[in-house]
Amino acid sequence: MSAQKKRNFKIEAFKHRVELDPNYAERTWRVLEHAIHEIYNHNASGLSFEELYRNAYNMVLHKYGEKLYTGLVNTMTGHLKEIARSIESAQGGFFLEELNVKWGDHNKALQMIRDILMYMDRTFVHSSHKTPVHELGLNLWRDNIIHSSKIQSRLLDMLLDLIHRERTGEVINRGLMRNITKMLMDLGSSVYQEDFEKPFLEVSASFYSVESQQLIECCDCGEYLRKAERRLSEEIERVSHYLDVKSEVKITSVVEGEMIANHMQRLVHMENSGLVSMLVDDKYEDLSRMYNLFRRVPDGLSTIKDVMTSHLRDTGKQLVSDPEKLKDPVDFVQNLLDEKDKYDKIITKAFNNDKTFQNALNSSFEYFINLNNRSPEFISLYVDDKLRKGLKGVSEEDVEVVLDKVMMLFRYLQEKDVFEKYYKQHLAKRLLAGKSVSDDTERSMIVKLKTECGYQFTSKLEGMFTDMKTSVDTMQGFYTSQYSEIGDGPTLAVQVLTTGSWPTQPSAPCNLPAEILVICEKFRTYYLGTRTGRRLTWQTNMGTADIKATFGKGQRHELNVSTYQMCILMLFNSVDRLTYGEIEQATEIPPSDLKRCLQSLACVKGKNVLRKEPMSKDIAEDDAFYFNDKFTSKFIKVKIGTVAAQKESEPEKQETRQRVEEDRKPQIEAAIVRIMKSRRVLDHNTIVTEVTSQLQSRFLPNPVVIKKRIESLIEREFLERDKVDRKLYRYLA
Amino acid sequence: MHKLGRGHRDKVQQFMAITGSSEKAAVQALKASDWHLEGAFDIFYSQPHIRTVTDSRHLEELYNRYKDPYVDMILVDGITLLCNDLQVDPQDIVMLVVSWHMKAATMCEFSRQEFIGGLQYLGIDTIEKFRDKLSYMRSELKDEQKFREIYNFAFGWAKEKGQKSLALDTAIGMWQLLFAERHWPLVDHWCQFLQVRHNKAISRDTWSQLLEFAKTVDLQLSNYDEEGAWPYLIDEFVEYLTENGIVQRPQN
Repeated sequence: MSAQKKRNFKIEAFKHRVELDPNYAERTWRVLEHAIHEIYNHNASGLSFEELYRNAYNMVLHKYGEKLYTGLVNTMTGHLKEIARSIESAQGGFFLEELNVKWGDHNKALQMIRDILMYMDRTFVHSSHKTPVHELGLNLWRDNIIHSSKIQSRLLDMLLDLIHRERTGEVINRGLMRNITKMLMDLGSSVYQEDFEKPFLEVSASFYSVESQQLIECCDCGEYLRKAERRLSEEIERVSHYLDVKSEVKITSVVEGEMIANHMQRLVHMENSGLVSMLVDDKYEDLSRMYNLFRRVPDGLSTIKDVMTSHLRDTGKQLVSDPEKLKDPVDFVQNLLDEKDKYDKIITKAFNNDKTFQNALNSSFEYFINLNNRSPEFISLYVDDKLRKGLKGVSEEDVEVVLDKVMMLFRYLQEKDVFEKYYKQHLAKRLLAGKSVSDDTERSMIVKLKTECGYQFTSKLEGMFTDMKTSVDTMQGFYTSQYSEIGDGPTLAVQVLTTGSWPTQPSAPCNLPAEILVICEKFRTYYLGTRTGRRLTWQTNMGTADIKATFGKGQRHELNVSTYQMCILMLFNSVDRLTYGEIEQATEIPPSDLKRCLQSLACVKGKNVLRKEPMSKDIAEDDAFYFNDKFTSKFIKVKIGTVAAQKESEPEKQETRQRVEEDRKPQIEAAIVRIMKSRRVLDHNTIVTEVTSQLQSRFLPNPVVIKKRIESLIEREFLERDKVDRKLYRYLA
Repeated sequence: MHKLGRGHRDKVQQFMAITGSSEKAAVQALKASDWHLEGAFDIFYSQPHIRTVTDSRHLEELYNRYKDPYVDMILVDGITLLCNDLQVDPQDIVMLVVSWHMKAATMCEFSRQEFIGGLQYLGIDTIEKFRDKLSYMRSELKDEQKFREIYNFAFGWAKEKGQKSLALDTAIGMWQLLFAERHWPLVDHWCQFLQVRHNKAISRDTWSQLLEFAKTVDLQLSNYDEEGAWPYLIDEFVEYLTENGIVQRPQN
């Protein structure tokens, strides 16, 4: 017996290839093929998932994946062709239903098949870059069913037809529609778009083109817009119910384009129902609808804005130029305020407070308010009216509201310095006559002006208030002092006005009656006693007087008259009859004022404390005046003086304007000097631009006036022309 | 002389007449100035040997002949006498040129300094020399640069002492005189416009800018620039011309 060597235990591979039974693959495939058939025939319950999975697994493992895959493709295709035929043969409405049902079946089958073939999906399909089973199933469905020649166009036509019917009012099966469109989406967005969405949009476009054409012929603007709005919401609803959400923006833009953009001009300009009539009649709902629809299309809002602007400008122009409307300044301004209110409301309620519309409103107002160069005067008169009596009984908040609205108009004025001049005049009259409704309201207005225009604008106005207050204190002091022993002489109330703050009125003092002179002198002495270096001048054209008068039958009245009128009346204490000439001589009142005073004393019914011969309204040199014994009035206190501010007569207006122009000259010069001092050398056009922008918060300077001021400054050697370039100016230090 | 062309020959003769020089000197000067008369004059007179030293005694005598008996100045009478001696009309524009050379402060009077200093500068110490120089002085008006200086000088000279502006009548008179030398076709319309629309004194700026206007803007006003920073009077003048149809401006 021989000893055997210990050997390592080795396992060696087969030295020959192991051949699988060639029929193995085929047999295995047959099993799977059978299974697929059964699945498609709704017979899947008898199948064993585990066995089928293992079979598929083995095929792939033994490198028969290709065969499996190809087999799958062929089998499935075969089934699908059969399904196609059954769908094609469906009649009428059943077509879609059949399609839907078959699609459901296919999906179920596909799911099962995919599960069975999952190993292949993960390995073979992946490594050989083939389409995965699920996707494959969808693609095959697409190619064999949807793109089948007998199905493709029929499907599309049916879908479009249903949509059309729904648009014309019929009820359709939305659930079915949804399933179909979902199917298309599942097959890929390009399928949905090419096979449905694109044609859908085209058809919709022509549908709405036709409809909009019909509607525009027979509907008015409001109606049309209501219908368009309805169609839009319909389409949005349709999308939410059975179309792809991405279709919404596409279909809405079709509707917007056809129904709105294409007919925009016609709608807006429609007679009796278009934008203009909506604005005129305050049709908020219609306007709001128009706004919301038009904002969806390019240039929609700017179209509305442009039409609104031109209408507003025309209306505004009429408001400021119509002679009827210019008769009463207060009405004039009220009209402007009402118009502004109207449009503010429209913009808030219908135009979504859109800023561009607000700007259009502002620029339109600015345009037409300045067309009438009396606007500053009239606005001041309006405020005057309100501050006198118009705001009596109105609550404090409401007062603020009214004043704020007036300030809005003020902001539109280009010639704010003209307004300032008038406001000063009117304020002076109010203060001196004691006619303001409330001191607080006056102050409130000043504060608003200060906020808007700065301290300079209002410093003089505030000076006027200060003077009034100081005068009250002064009077108190006077009456407690030694000078005030009057006995039964007249009682004096003096307002001392600082010259710079009050509007200047050239006035020649008239001859005061003796009794008055006495007390006036006493006051003067008292005043100058405590304040040296000042000069007092009596402004006899601005004062008032209360006189007690006893008439023929003993009736007593208290007359409230101007100082001039008082001088005239006092003359009749010593004589019964005076001619015009005599009165003029005695009082030395300037003729034009004198005539007006006499007219208001003698020619106005109910106020005729004097009698005139002849009875005419005109006053001639020899006309005679008598104290009117027979004067009666049911009031004890009779007011005769003309104290209220009125709109200026033509010559007065000219004068005011001239003064404004004169005042502007130094302001322009100051601006030029300021600019040149800092810039040293500038060309002409730039100076003009800079000056204009510096002064625009007060007024719009005229370039010709600026040029004249420059030349004046050259002459006074503040500036010189550059020696080389005659368009340049240099500042001379 | 025979070699010269006809135009050149004329110029030589003119030159000789004015300067009293020889033909040779004339041709020399003209050649050097490229046959421009004004340039030739400059050259001729700036040649050193021509600048004669003036005899200050003669100048004193001359001054004393014209000076006013009570004031140390030459006043109107003296000037009239001077013009007589020079055989020149007192309104002749050459007197303006004389005043310019003398840097006279005001028209119708010369101070001692102005008169003597001016004549020294010009190299004149006798009336004869003075007379001879007149045509040269006249010719100076043809020079662009000198004309402008004389024109601007005229404003200060013609206005009243202590005034800033020139009275309208005087200004119009001066313009008529000056623009007779340097032809500006619109001068009559300008004067008429001023009398009708303006009727006030003329500022220095307006005066000097008018010359620029006359020089640069053509008679159809086609190159008139509204933004050109012209004095407002000139803007108004353009309006006046357009309104009255004197000039047809293209409307833009």
